[in-house]
Amino acid sequence: MFGYQTTAWAKLFARTNFLLAVIGGVCLIGLVVIIAVGVIMRYALGTPILGINEIVQLTALAVVMTSLPYATQHRVHVSVDVFDTFLGRLGRKIGDIFSRLISGYVLFLLARRAWLKCLDALEWGDATNMLNLPIWPLYAILSVGSALCVAVFAADIVLILTNKDSE
Amino acid sequence: MTDTTVGLLGIAALFALMILRTPVAFAMLIVGFFGYGILEGMRSATALLLTESYSAVSNYSLIVVPMFILLGNISSVAGYSRGLYDAAFAWVGRFKGGLASASVIGCAAFSAVSGSSVATAVTLGKVALPEMKRVGYADSLATGSIAAGGTLGFLIPPSTGFVLYAILTEESIGRLFMAGILPGLLLMVLFMAVVWIIATLDETAGPCGEKVPFGERFKLLIAAAPLLFVIVASIGGIYLGVFSPVEASGIGAGLVLVLAVLQRKLTWASFKEAVMGTLQTSSMLYMIVIGANILNPFFSVTHIPQTLGDGLGNLNVGPYGTLAVILLAYVALGMFMDGLSMLVITIPIVFPVITGMGFDPIWFGVVAVIVIEMGMITPPVGLNVFVVRGVADGVPLTTVFKGVLPFLGAMLVALLLIIAFPQIALFIPNSMFG
Amino acid sequence: EDLKFANYMPPMHPYVEGAFQPFADMVSEATGGDVTVTIYSGGELGPGPVEQYSRVVDGVAELAISLAGYTASQFPMTLVAELPGVTNEATGTVDLWENIDLLADEYRRVKLVSLWSNAGNALYMRDVAVDSPDDLAGLKIRVPSRNAGLVIEAWGATPVSMPVTEIYNAMQTGVIDGAYIDTTATRAFRLGEVANYLTTGMDTTHSPFFILMNRDAYANLSSEEQAAIDAAGKAASILANQTQLAVAAGGIESFAATEGKQVIELTEEQAEAFNVLSAEVTAAVIAETGGNAQAIVDALAK
Ligand code: NA
Ligand code: NA
Repeated sequence: MFGYQTTAWAKLFARTNFLLAVIGGVCLIGLVVIIAVGVIMRYALGTPILGINEIVQLTALAVVMTSLPYATQHRVHVSVDVFDTFLGRLGRKIGDIFSRLISGYVLFLLARRAWLKCLDALEWGDATNMLNLPIWPLYAILSVGSALCVAVFAADIVLILTNKDSE
Repeated sequence: MTDTTVGLLGIAALFALMILRTPVAFAMLIVGFFGYGILEGMRSATALLLTESYSAVSNYSLIVVPMFILLGNISSVAGYSRGLYDAAFAWVGRFKGGLASASVIGCAAFSAVSGSSVATAVTLGKVALPEMKRVGYADSLATGSIAAGGTLGFLIPPSTGFVLYAILTEESIGRLFMAGILPGLLLMVLFMAVVWIIATLDETAGPCGEKVPFGERFKLLIAAAPLLFVIVASIGGIYLGVFSPVEASGIGAGLVLVLAVLQRKLTWASFKEAVMGTLQTSSMLYMIVIGANILNPFFSVTHIPQTLGDGLGNLNVGPYGTLAVILLAYVALGMFMDGLSMLVITIPIVFPVITGMGFDPIWFGVVAVIVIEMGMITPPVGLNVFVVRGVADGVPLTTVFKGVLPFLGAMLVALLLIIAFPQIALFIPNSMFG
Repeated sequence: EDLKFANYMPPMHPYVEGAFQPFADMVSEATGGDVTVTIYSGGELGPGPVEQYSRVVDGVAELAISLAGYTASQFPMTLVAELPGVTNEATGTVDLWENIDLLADEYRRVKLVSLWSNAGNALYMRDVAVDSPDDLAGLKIRVPSRNAGLVIEAWGATPVSMPVTEIYNAMQTGVIDGAYIDTTATRAFRLGEVANYLTTGMDTTHSPFFILMNRDAYANLSSEEQAAIDAAGKAASILANQTQLAVAAGGIESFAATEGKQVIELTEEQAEAFNVLSAEVTAAVIAETGGNAQAIVDALAK
């Protein structure tokens, strides 16, 4: 898909994104289980788990950030297509490369900033309120997820430039 | 360069990026980031990028997004959605555009559970769109009815929009919720009328089915029982106080999953397909939320909404003239901004003006919510349209925008009716609370 | 130089007129307009109270208002002040500033500009009129912080955590039986509509609020400008506390004035039953926190 099966390095890279998304899938099902357990403990057993919403929130973060590179690789992001014919083949190519360069740059800044924040959160011991769960691993996931997205954009550009991208 | 100039350039850049096929989520992200950077320094902008990304992906209320998408995907691969729509088609399929109308009713019913337009559009879109496609509905009608139907999520209680309006203006949440009911139903009926008109004008848009015998219809209804059970259990659980609306999304997804496993409707391959699809759609939607969360603070620091609001306060065109100008400004802002952010910035300025002219504050809440709902489906930044496009396979964004256009007309009609007959909004709250 | 002040509360919140705008005016006046403060209310610079601390630490805004309890891990000493029986509602803010050195260690990552003690939390109940801890047995009560959760547990109820905006719906449908929150919530979160009983009068938690400033932004100011911020911040603390207490009192009054609603003001004897239980929590948290905790209590609970 989108040229990722045409080159050995791209295949391997797609595999990495897939495996990371599998972790996201496990977290997704985990989210269902956590919510169900929370409701059962509170309603049926009368012993709510204090701070369970913190676990839910942190799991959701893991779901999103681990699946973002996989989703980006599969081009799920919605874009405007009304000017496609007007742009022409070359115009579309230029647009696609330009979009990825600039999006990639912003996500790169995000990845770098999230990494610094991860170290900062580790140093200062940032933690959730009720359960005192450490927050730094989440910034690490945020950083890795956006960094891999930058890599997806870079791979896309290489595939487009070498005409291996099936538009 | 003044703040306003930077803001206008930002809007131009947004258009340029979208024309160059930059995904809308990233277009918002890029403009918001660089715009904030130009006005407040790159260090602040990078900080904004980080805090808003983190706060979006860890937002408790947004959990409904992956959960409802999972519910829809499992229903789909297990054949439950198909069962439900086969039954719906047997019951209403012989009417013109029957399935689209049924989906609008579905949106209204779902709105009674969900306070969010996006969640309503996502859930109904996941279930209804493939089914409408299957029986030959035009993409524009199918996606348009869902994107517009989703806006009922804000009007029919519970509603995040009314809660925010109440907090901003210190009006009663209960009264506002009650005031939303009749306008919500009115809008639902108007949407169905639009569907009927479209299906009448274009016979291929919403084709009629055969008349199905009565016995057969009940058989199909029983076949649709699993998904109906999940829906009733989720809604019932909320009203009985078993769980909150956010938890209901997780419980609903869990119930569908358990049912599908017990009924052996799920293979490993189809389960994997449902989960991976959920991950793709969810991260796409979260990216849009992140983009909007970074674009909105940029518009705030340009002071454009503020300037516009201040200008509105000093008009000299009579009460209805002022109202008309305010609503037009909301429509204009709604093209680019998220409706809730728009309310926060403008209500403190506009609300005293409106109430000072003798308009009812509860009534204005309803009017304001309808107008910000219009913003959810107007181009170029129309959150509901993006969401529906995201869950509809292979439909161009322009088709969805075209599809919602007639429904936008219906919202305008509803708005005019409510302005002409304020009782539509005020009848229930006034008879309940005096 | 213009400083952005991130406020997650609505622009019409009494704090804005009562303390934040006066703070901005004082800064501007004392610096002859060289330093101005622009208030962005209603989460214009990013929604929600939880991320406020990050916004000021990372520098989205130069100034931000938040509650210490939203980032409890960073402010264990400040939060000792919220324990039942520690802070005196009337003099709490002045007491805090007189002993600010005891808390200084927690404000190395950000500059502390204002700090004030909140009005005390009260019990908003849906169906049960509470005048003794026995009434609370097994009921589900929404709590704002870990310490408040411990107190609710000690009283025999079961603490539940959820975002503050969810309380209205959850109480209406019965997901929770009540909420433990300060009485500004009657208006701010419309709890006066969904609760039928309000119990006050026991020793209770007082969640402290603060205005924080980005370290670098503060360091970039001249020493005269810094002094202007410091002075305005202290003055704003007093104003904010007065505003808060007035609105909280109004919240009790309007609740009592609503037909069919009842405010239960505990007698001293009734309150004692609650206080005995919460005193144990206070003692346990002080022991667990260690450090300056006992010194803070001794200084505040005179
Ligand atoms: Na709703
Ligand atoms: Na729009």
